Amino acid sequence: MRTGRRLIQDYWGILLILVAWQAWVIVNQFNPIVMPTPISVFDALITDPVLFLENTGITFAVALVGMTGGMIIGTSLAVATWLSPLLSGLVSPLAVLFSSVPVVALIPIIARLLGYNVSTEIAIVVIITFFPSFVFASSGLRALPPGSDDLFRVLGASRRATLFRLALPAAMPNLAIALRLAAAHAILAAMIAEFLMGTSGLGYLFAKTNDEFQTEQAFGTSIVATAISVAAFLLASFVERRVRSHFS
Amino acid sequence: MTGEAQFDPDGPAITATDVTKKFTLKGSGDGVLALQELSLAVATGEFVALLGPSGCGKSTLLRLMASLDRPTTGNVTVCGEPPDAIAARHAFGVAFQDHALLPWLTVYENIALPFKLAGRTPDDVAIREMIVLVGLDEFVSARPRQLSGGMRQRVSIARALILDPEVLLLDEPFGALDAVTRRQMNIELQRIWLRDQITTVLVTHSVDEAIFLADRVLVLSGRPGRIILEAIVPFDRPRDRSVMRSEEFHSLADELSLALEPSED
Amino acid sequence: MATDTTWVGRTLLGAVGLVIFFGLWQLIGHYKLAGLSWPPLTSVIDMLTDASRRPLFGRAVSATLSSTGMGYLSGACLGLVLAWSTHLLPPMRRGGDRLAAVLNSVPSIALGPIFLLLLSRDAAPAAVASVHVFFIVYVSVTSGLASASTAHQDLFSVFGAGRFARFRRLEMPSALPALASGLRLSWPAALIGAIIGEWFGAPRGLGILIINAMQNFQIVLLWCAVFLAVIASLTFYGLLTGLERGIYGRFR
Ligand SMILES: Nc1ncnc2c1ncn2[C@@H]1O[C@H](COP(=O)(O)OP(=O)(O)OP(=O)(O)O)[C@@H](O)[C@H]1O
Ligand SMILES: [Mg+2]
Repeated sequence: MRTGRRLIQDYWGILLILVAWQAWVIVNQFNPIVMPTPISVFDALITDPVLFLENTGITFAVALVGMTGGMIIGTSLAVATWLSPLLSGLVSPLAVLFSSVPVVALIPIIARLLGYNVSTEIAIVVIITFFPSFVFASSGLRALPPGSDDLFRVLGASRRATLFRLALPAAMPNLAIALRLAAAHAILAAMIAEFLMGTSGLGYLFAKTNDEFQTEQAFGTSIVATAISVAAFLLASFVERRVRSHFS
Repeated sequence: MTGEAQFDPDGPAITATDVTKKFTLKGSGDGVLALQELSLAVATGEFVALLGPSGCGKSTLLRLMASLDRPTTGNVTVCGEPPDAIAARHAFGVAFQDHALLPWLTVYENIALPFKLAGRTPDDVAIREMIVLVGLDEFVSARPRQLSGGMRQRVSIARALILDPEVLLLDEPFGALDAVTRRQMNIELQRIWLRDQITTVLVTHSVDEAIFLADRVLVLSGRPGRIILEAIVPFDRPRDRSVMRSEEFHSLADELSLALEPSED
Repeated sequence: MATDTTWVGRTLLGAVGLVIFFGLWQLIGHYKLAGLSWPPLTSVIDMLTDASRRPLFGRAVSATLSSTGMGYLSGACLGLVLAWSTHLLPPMRRGGDRLAAVLNSVPSIALGPIFLLLLSRDAAPAAVASVHVFFIVYVSVTSGLASASTAHQDLFSVFGAGRFARFRRLEMPSALPALASGLRLSWPAALIGAIIGEWFGAPRGLGILIINAMQNFQIVLLWCAVFLAVIASLTFYGLLTGLERGIYGRFR
């Protein structure tokens, strides 16, 4: 009884959508090819779990590798602009420009430039996760505890010591935020890249089943994708909380 | 043990000669004149306290000594050298009002930080001794946010002293504390200071604190800051609470308070 | 004075950065350093300004902008209303937050076919855009509503203000800056939603132009379409940034 109420309080929105979906399909008497019910989608998921697991693995790997690369490159460039005011002046308007660019629109160009293969998908995830990492790392490197920069100067700290002992640790909470944003972007970007290039992974599976009117599988793919992005988001939020409590 | 006699005759540790500091502010044409033609000398091993109304330029003066800023005109030297050279030698100890402890380091690590910044291996024995000296032995691996305000100030003092600096600069290090804790901290600071008698400049708002701790008290005028009064503190060390109840203490405190008052309107 | 010179210096440096960026683009394209898929900047500009192409670009941009705009408005309204409701009905809050987080995690490409069924070909782009906007606006408004300071809350309680008066006179205004930031960040997200939505059978739009050009190796056309999408994003993003500054000045 208690847990039932709790469940409704916490998940009323999602339950509402599931119920409305089921009811809507029944009332309209849709053909399952057009619109399956939630129950038949779960059926499809259970009948061929290997197919879904395999493609989930591929998408997850692409997203993870790309995100790691994007975060490393973004943070490194932020450190470079921290070290060189000249570089910082040169790239800061570009950074503002690019942070408001609809990056998904760039995916077709990147695909054409690099060819249709897995490394291109990784490159796309790298580019898309690069921007939040760069922006948040740049501001994090400058968000120092009050008075600490004066302290480092009076104590005669070298540039290198200031970077490794002050600026980078101070940037950790911001990097954790970047991680949370990047985690959400990475899986979606990987899926869109797979969808457009038709190589492998959940995006490809979705494109294929959707084109072949295997609607139940297509919906199943979406639900699996949603589940892994929710999981990635929750994991990244957890990491963010831990990092934040350690570094501030 | 009174007055100048005990100090190194080889010359002052800190000098300021005709120092003027002007800040230009965005929007306002003239800018703010924080210090004007100020001169002072602090002898080696001397403890000097600076008093003055809020905004008169005390912190500005301390920042000039600490190499954090440059005078507009005039000259500041520390141990006969420009302040930058002292910073590069890692020979300053500082504690400012916002304690500037790094939140991701433990008490031990925060106190060990000056060693790391000087490129030296932390001296474990010295650090533990210092932690005992400031009474934080139970909190060696605590983080700053687990400490009270007074405990943080003590960590910051310990960090200032750990490298046996040639010069100690303190800017309202106990500003955030209540009167009782503050008095305890004064007694502790004196105890620690007596160990090595490092040349010290202390900025404070408390007349009692200045007299209790310093060999000499300087009072600055309202902005732009100039020295309007200089008082030698005649008490022997170690001083204790009874000093504060003496007649002499009260008359000195009255004299200093009076000098501070006119500029407070 | 010092601040003036640094400002001029920064602006100049930034301009140099932009010139280097566009110069590199031109050079790489001109000498085909990145292969045939990277056209020089000048050929992109030539095609963009070519009078015979104007109707094509005009139709695509206006189609995409109108679906983006519709999605933007409806998403913002939905986000705002849900945020207000869950704020006034606290037991609904956790469920609302979870719903928003899950909706945000549904891959955008999966939303396309669903809206195709639920609505129509023409409405799908706006609907995908609206989901993107909904999430950002919901999250920023809920955090904005929560930010009304406790001191103010106490003041209103002492005055005996009712729940609704407090909401209207205190919490709604305090949430305005957060709403403005949300509205600014939503625009590029809305545009992305509209472009993805168009991939599922919309008759025209920048997304269609992009996907067709990509599949038919019309490289310069592809870059033109992406360029237009970027301009469409930047223009409104700039306008919304101005709006945000105004609101921050007034309510903070
Ligand atoms: N970086 C700065 N830029 C502009 N003006 C400054 C700057 N630092 C200090 N000032 C100005 O110089 C004057 C002296 O400031 P300072 O901080 O030295 O005062 P203070 O004596 O330490 O005051 P308090 O006792 O309140 O700490 C003030 O009027 C202040 O506004
Ligand atoms: Mg001060």
